[in-house]
Amino acid sequence: MRSGCMRGVMLDPRTKLVLALFYAILIVASQATAWLAAELGVLLLIVLIMQKGRAYLRWLRMLLPMALFFGAVVWWSIDWPAAVDAAMKLITLTSTFFVFFSATTPDEMGDSLVKVRLPYTVAFVFSTALQFVPVVGRKAKNVFDAQRARGIPVEPGWSSLRNYPAFLTPLLIQAFKLAEELAEAMEARGFGRPHRSFLKEYKLRTVDWLALAGGLLVLAAVLFLQGTN
Amino acid sequence: MALTNFIEARRLQYAYLKNKNNWALNQIDLDVHPSEYLLICGASGSGKSTLCRTFNGLIPHFYQGVLRGQVTVAGTPTTELSVADLFARVAMVFQNPEAQLFNRSVEMEIAFGLESVGLPRAEIKRRIAESTDLTGLTEFLPRNPHALSSGEQQLVAITAMLALRPRIIVLDEPYANLDPSNVRRVRNALKALHQQQIGIVVCEHRLPYTLSDAQRMVAVKAGAIVLNGPPAETLLQNIQDCGLEMPLAPSIGHRLAIRPLPLDVKTLEEKAAGQNYPIDLKPELLPPFARNHPVVLEVQNVVSKLGESTILQDVSFTLSRGECLAIVGANGAGKTTLLKHLIGLQRPSRGQIRVMGQDSAQAKVSQLARYVGVAFQNPDNQFFKLTVWDEITVGAKALNRYDPGWLQELVELFRLEPLLNRSPYRLSGGEKKRVAFAAALAGQPAILALDEPTAGQDYTFRRALGRILTQLRERGQAIVLVTHDLSFAERYAHRWLLLAEGRVVVDGRPWEVMSNANAMQQASLEPTDAFRLYARGHA
Repeated sequence: MRSGCMRGVMLDPRTKLVLALFYAILIVASQATAWLAAELGVLLLIVLIMQKGRAYLRWLRMLLPMALFFGAVVWWSIDWPAAVDAAMKLITLTSTFFVFFSATTPDEMGDSLVKVRLPYTVAFVFSTALQFVPVVGRKAKNVFDAQRARGIPVEPGWSSLRNYPAFLTPLLIQAFKLAEELAEAMEARGFGRPHRSFLKEYKLRTVDWLALAGGLLVLAAVLFLQGTN
Repeated sequence: MALTNFIEARRLQYAYLKNKNNWALNQIDLDVHPSEYLLICGASGSGKSTLCRTFNGLIPHFYQGVLRGQVTVAGTPTTELSVADLFARVAMVFQNPEAQLFNRSVEMEIAFGLESVGLPRAEIKRRIAESTDLTGLTEFLPRNPHALSSGEQQLVAITAMLALRPRIIVLDEPYANLDPSNVRRVRNALKALHQQQIGIVVCEHRLPYTLSDAQRMVAVKAGAIVLNGPPAETLLQNIQDCGLEMPLAPSIGHRLAIRPLPLDVKTLEEKAAGQNYPIDLKPELLPPFARNHPVVLEVQNVVSKLGESTILQDVSFTLSRGECLAIVGANGAGKTTLLKHLIGLQRPSRGQIRVMGQDSAQAKVSQLARYVGVAFQNPDNQFFKLTVWDEITVGAKALNRYDPGWLQELVELFRLEPLLNRSPYRLSGGEKKRVAFAAALAGQPAILALDEPTAGQDYTFRRALGRILTQLRERGQAIVLVTHDLSFAERYAHRWLLLAEGRVVVDGRPWEVMSNANAMQQASLEPTDAFRLYARGHA
């Protein structure tokens, strides 16, 4: 784990992935609003313990319109309690992966995928894509600033919709260029060469097995309790 | 010194697939010895980067094109080896640090190549410790490479290659985006590696940075090698013809008939002790700016905060019509942040900015863009039209300031006529900059602000830009240059605003600022060669 109070808990990335999947199953299987609220509450508690509150709020701000739209569609086609459940399920499910990605670095993610026998090249491409999200984000900001400085409105909104090519074209071209340069740099560092070794060693330790067993137990218990209600 | 060749190029010709009819390299014969320090120089587009990519097999294996002749590494043609076979022997450091650092920590970055070779874990750890010891990066191991300064990033890239224990490290324009203090760090690291018998090949057009370090220099022009020899001898030939600027120290040494030519200021001062330097080589500085012109920009006690950190602290200055002000400082001093405040892209936490008398806090960015035309460092951030003409006019139209007569004047001033129907993305780096500068002026702003206008640009471009700035100034254009290129700012700015850690350390004429040794040290900058040689009474 990377931040705050969770720093001391060093789980193997595979354990984190499996725990996230258990939680996702739990959310998908939950039918009652109270259960969904409880599951979201647990996630919010983890977010607070990880001291990721600000990042979570920023992320939630982006997610909320989609959740509201999703809820509105369900309301229109079924009813409002179903709409509340659907919107909550979407938020809780995606919050699970927010927590997972906050607690797992792209490198760890890639390495764990290699450990579950995904080819190294595929796992590396996946983890590098995550790694470069902030880089592309910085490029997007630079393009945004450069166009605004020329008086070309590219701020989000209907009025500037026709100017979006001014934002998207340079960004896409630069993303392609960055990808080309990255590919060249990786080639020049022996990427894809057979018989690769790894500096980091991942081993499932007692704490991982305990976490996995605990997770499985909680999943089974909650599913059982939900089934009997 | 008896040296055997490690890399040999024979009758080498290469053309990129997208430009098959034009040889990027033409009849190259070159030997590179292990453990030598070689400088490959030439103007932008001369083919020096292409030549470097033949040394480690990126050409022909990664780039598609037409290859004739051959390159051998340790006697084996690169056509018979893959890049994966070559990368640990001929390591390459690229110009853009952002794209060549793709791991989460410096430790993993250095480990990447070693993992590719398949070394055992203990050996990887040993090599990481050994290489970081040499480059002084041990404390950086857990840090994210993308959070480092550009100089530190270059050092990480060099360390990652060094850990492979290559025979030769090839660096493509390693100083392109670095400020003087970072240049010094990288130069020192390269000199230390060279002392360890590792061959260094540096592709660069900024000769003052490399001349005194290199044992041999090769000048490339239009894909062919035109000069080849020890720097002190090669500089006696016509290097200007290769689009290279003769540095001041050897120029003066040449005129004073000092042989071998002094390659840096220190050597010149030692060899020419007591002599007067030729006065006609002293760069022409702008006269003091008469302060009777209308003020177009007033910055008063501006403070800018980002979270807990203060980026700008109590910054104040004014700019008048026809004046050229250079905001100088090291990377991270707050120069670009200050520039963004002028156009409203960032707002002051405290203080006031008045642009043409208008409080910028009350104005939208689109309103301020009518008064301040900005060209940021990377022109690719703004290009989205299919032709250069559309690219120049789009901003003027958005600002309702479309004036065909003025735009035609700009086309002439920036010499863009032959480029007007071409795609901006297909231009050279210097041409792109010219288009971006013209676009910034298209809306007839009172202030032109250029962010690092000379970064990565060669002598020809710098000279042309100097000419354009002079013409603009004479027309009454107020100009702000944001730069760490002091020798350019020395010639073309009336005044310098020296920034260090977000504060104005000195505001004055270029040589006044440089004569303040404490301020320069605080800003991690060094005086220009011209200042060091001419301001001390030798002329």
